[in-house]
Amino acid sequence: MSDLSATDVTIAELDAFEVEFSRVIAPLSDEQAIRGAQAQFLGKKGKVAEAMKVLGKLPPADRPKVGAVANRIKATIESEVARRLGELAQAAAEADLARVVDVTLPARPVPAGRLHILSQVRLEMIEIFAELGFVVADGPQIETDWHNFEALALPKDHPARDMQDTFYVSEDIVLRTHTSPVQVRTMLTQAPPIRIVAPGFVYRRDDDLTHSPMFTQIEGLAVDEGLSFADLKGVLLHFVKRFFKRDLGIRLRPSYFPFVEPGAEVDMQCVFCAGPGSACRVCKSTGWVEIGGAGMVDPDVFQHVKIDTERYTGFAFGMGIERMAMLRHDINDIKFYYEGDVRFLEQF
Amino acid sequence: MKVLWSWLLELCDLDKQPTVEEGAKALTRGGLEIEGVTDLGAGFTGVVVAEVVGKRPHPESTKLTLVDVITERGGAATQVVCGAPNVPEPGRKVLWAQVGATLPNGMTLAPKPVKGIVSPGMLCAGDELGLDDAHSGIIVLEADDPTPLGAPAQRALGLDDHLLEVNAPPNRGDVLGHLGIARELCAALRGRLVPPDANLADHLGDEGQAMTVTIADPMACPRYTARRLDGVKVGQPAGMLARRIAHRLRAVGVRSISNVVDVTNYVMFELGTPLHAFDANTLKTGEIRVSHARDGEKFTTLDKTERTLVPGDLLIRDGETGIALAGVMGGLETEVTAQTTRILLEAASFDAKTVRRTARRLGLHSEASSRFERGVDPQLAAFASARAAKLLCLVGGGTVQRTLADAYPGTSGAATATSAPAEPAVAAHAMTPGSTTVTVRVSRVAMLTGAALDAAACTDALTRLHFAVTGTGDVLEVRPPSARNDITREVDVIEEILRMVGYEQIVSTLPPLRQAPGVREPDRGDAVRQALAKAGAHEALTYAFQSAERQSHLGLTATDKRAQAIALRNPMSAEQGVMRTSLLPNLLAAVARNHSHGRPDVALFECGTVFLRRGESATDRPLTELADEQTWAAGVLAGKRATQLGTGVPYDAFDAKALAEVGIRAICGQHVAITTRASKGAVYLHPGVAGELVVDHVVVGWFGEVHPRVRARFGIEAPVFAFDLDLGKLPAAGPAKMQPIPRFPGTSRDVSLLLGTEIPAARVAEVIERANQPLVTGVRCLEDYRDGKLGAGKKSMLWSIAYRAADRTLTDAEVEAAHEAIVGSLVENLPAERR
Repeated sequence: MSDLSATDVTIAELDAFEVEFSRVIAPLSDEQAIRGAQAQFLGKKGKVAEAMKVLGKLPPADRPKVGAVANRIKATIESEVARRLGELAQAAAEADLARVVDVTLPARPVPAGRLHILSQVRLEMIEIFAELGFVVADGPQIETDWHNFEALALPKDHPARDMQDTFYVSEDIVLRTHTSPVQVRTMLTQAPPIRIVAPGFVYRRDDDLTHSPMFTQIEGLAVDEGLSFADLKGVLLHFVKRFFKRDLGIRLRPSYFPFVEPGAEVDMQCVFCAGPGSACRVCKSTGWVEIGGAGMVDPDVFQHVKIDTERYTGFAFGMGIERMAMLRHDINDIKFYYEGDVRFLEQF
Repeated sequence: MKVLWSWLLELCDLDKQPTVEEGAKALTRGGLEIEGVTDLGAGFTGVVVAEVVGKRPHPESTKLTLVDVITERGGAATQVVCGAPNVPEPGRKVLWAQVGATLPNGMTLAPKPVKGIVSPGMLCAGDELGLDDAHSGIIVLEADDPTPLGAPAQRALGLDDHLLEVNAPPNRGDVLGHLGIARELCAALRGRLVPPDANLADHLGDEGQAMTVTIADPMACPRYTARRLDGVKVGQPAGMLARRIAHRLRAVGVRSISNVVDVTNYVMFELGTPLHAFDANTLKTGEIRVSHARDGEKFTTLDKTERTLVPGDLLIRDGETGIALAGVMGGLETEVTAQTTRILLEAASFDAKTVRRTARRLGLHSEASSRFERGVDPQLAAFASARAAKLLCLVGGGTVQRTLADAYPGTSGAATATSAPAEPAVAAHAMTPGSTTVTVRVSRVAMLTGAALDAAACTDALTRLHFAVTGTGDVLEVRPPSARNDITREVDVIEEILRMVGYEQIVSTLPPLRQAPGVREPDRGDAVRQALAKAGAHEALTYAFQSAERQSHLGLTATDKRAQAIALRNPMSAEQGVMRTSLLPNLLAAVARNHSHGRPDVALFECGTVFLRRGESATDRPLTELADEQTWAAGVLAGKRATQLGTGVPYDAFDAKALAEVGIRAICGQHVAITTRASKGAVYLHPGVAGELVVDHVVVGWFGEVHPRVRARFGIEAPVFAFDLDLGKLPAAGPAKMQPIPRFPGTSRDVSLLLGTEIPAARVAEVIERANQPLVTGVRCLEDYRDGKLGAGKKSMLWSIAYRAADRTLTDAEVEAAHEAIVGSLVENLPAERR
């Protein structure tokens, strides 16, 4: 027998790696160690590469045979690595699925502030009237006597001034008693057609369960050719239905406001009870609750702002936002609105 | 205005008598809101009219009487025990609360032994039926009382009736009497108005002395009538008519004074025309003059008060001597007394504004002045005079002189009238058209109401209200009743037509959208409100006024505009004395209130108006121009922010800063550069924990910890953090423009610095920015560490700087070069040591 050829020696060496690798990898249990073992055998300077350095010295005819053995060994090692890594991944995945979190613990708080209910209601009203083409207008809260009274057909000696007990800042400057001066300011600066709503704070010397010395009104004004009382009714009816999200009726009753004629008090069907006859503290069992005043713009007002009373007609309406919020959200005392009590604010 | 239902019905001829509820509904539908209906007899039940048929002393007591009463003629008598001293003789009628009766004090009567004798109920005194406070004796009906035996006591007492509370609109002087309201009720129910009896034929005396009435200023007094009565006996109301008058007056809230005064009041409530009775014996001349007072003229009114008059006041004079303050109050000297036998009766109409000014100036508001202030129908004066004269004769037994002095310059043109024979029967002019004519276009009615109303419909509506209407085409000539001084224009008439037709008859239509709505800047306040609420604070609304004391709690310097609040001239209380110049005081008060409710954790903001003086107007001068109304946002934080577990994380100044920045970004956009610097200007903040926020080189707001002294003034014991933003100073952002998305990866490098504690973080960021390295895309402070071990006055900061190029992946070398340049600049310029 001749000595083993260099080829046979190399093949034997390579074959031995297979067993050796199995021995090395067997105790390993993390990916990094397994990859390290893989590199030890298959890396650029690994055992297989070292063994293959002799290839160039082997007879050319043997080289393919040795190469094939090396490839087989490589494939074996790689598949062993893949198998072991797969096992590890699976074990890890199973271990992860064994994790249990107490999902009944409370949620992490996110910032939770609220808009004031009056802001929410005001924004919603603006949106409803915007659908009908009304845009928002505003004016100062400290107002001239002329804008607040005179231009609205309420001259100095008019008995109706008693209806609104006024805060005075000076002889001719008042805290506005209603949002109606915004009508005047708008008509002075804008030609018809006009369609505005003016929400804002107003002030009257009044303080009890249903009156606050400061409160919020929303005023509406439309001036155009051909506007009628029927249009006023339609706009108010649309508003009430949209705001209360119910098919409620409205009722207009003749009433007197110096700046509208014909003038009306606006009632809507009571949202609290089944109608007349049922005992209801909100509507006093009449089935109707008052929500505001309205009417056709008085020609005297048009004359103050130099609008042609023959060509144009208009209607105006005003409502208390507190009242609407009270009716919709069961708020029973107006003072809650202005106290900054978190127990109230966080409810809406 | 209080209206008695029986009185109202007396003035109406209706096809079918309505119930009081139906009447109230009809009036409300027509525009006279009935605010309440009171059943006058609701206070008690089971009390009946009984006749005394026998009485004897109680065997056990001298103070008690045994009374036999019957409730039907010939019926069996019942014995009732009575403790009153005034048990009448047999034949008189009393009010017997029978067993089972309920009384106003809530008592239900049961048989009850009184000193050994069982009494089935009791005989009632006035106080027991809630009529008055008198308990001097039981009620004994007048001898001529017509109420049948056994009838409910309510009928004998005039309490089987209802009182209506009418909310009379300020422009409707005509409904301040039962007649005016009857006209409305008849119009609503298509009935006929029945004026009360004013025929003097049975009461005429002689011609009497001639009298002259002169009106100096017909604008101030459109009509004045004077009439004399002789042989009147003044006294307490006696007889059925006088008692009924007194009773009705009591029901509408007027005290009975004497038969004569009661009649003038009665006619005022009946017709709406205030009247005045002078004691004619006290008048010296035969001349009544109506003229303005001289400046400083003295006059003593009925209430024994000497008044100093001004030329605007109107006086009724006897020759030169003042005898009444026109429309407001009579004079003491000419008052009707028990000795009066001759009366001068005034029925007049005075200018509303004149009466209003005088009543206001003197603080003398009466039933009469309140009517003149709304306008009293001059045309009704003669009728009212006749009506009152008739009633005076009926209750006082006198006669009426045949002549009437009637100065009515509006129609006759003469301001002087001498008494002239008058017709005994005066027309009730309330029902006849006045002198005003209004032209109404039927087409305009239809246009304004949106209802297809024709001339016939309009005419029908107006005729029901006693308007005279002529014309049948488009143009109607309309003459309202003289009492309706509120009707002067076409639109006034259209309202009358509409309320008769019924507002409910008008359909609802939506007006067409004729043009796109105008464009308006979005409301800054609302943008900020939404953002701050989303960021975790609750929106509060607080009063725009507050006490001057609360305002001063901030400790602002006197020269600060916010220390010069605008004061109200007539606040409801000192608590609401001045307009706010800052949102913070009311918010801090709200924090204190929440703490007192046991809510330590509070995050509130308000966004609203503050009111500042314009220009240099000093605080001690009245405002001559409108206020500078600015919109601000402010917030307060106290206690802790909630965490998932545990008790929360205490708020600090950076929570306030976060909210302030959220507010700024809501207006200025996401990417606005906000710089901060320590502030010394906000005196209400802790001097070491106060920052100001700068956008575009303008200070737009402040944040920090509220000065411990300031919060102590509000009674707050724990730290409070606050911010305050002037929204008007914030530059509005346009629409956000898209930036290219980076295509190449960026990297970052950290640098740790040792530097003086006095160097603020903003300075570090500024130096990094000034190094002007184009690759820098972001800078963050990762750590601010303070420890004595670092050396006195030293702190350690760790910063991270991000680098990126838009067009390539950066090499380590370029990043290193940029980073080293920045670090070098920091070391040199802060200065700092690199750690």
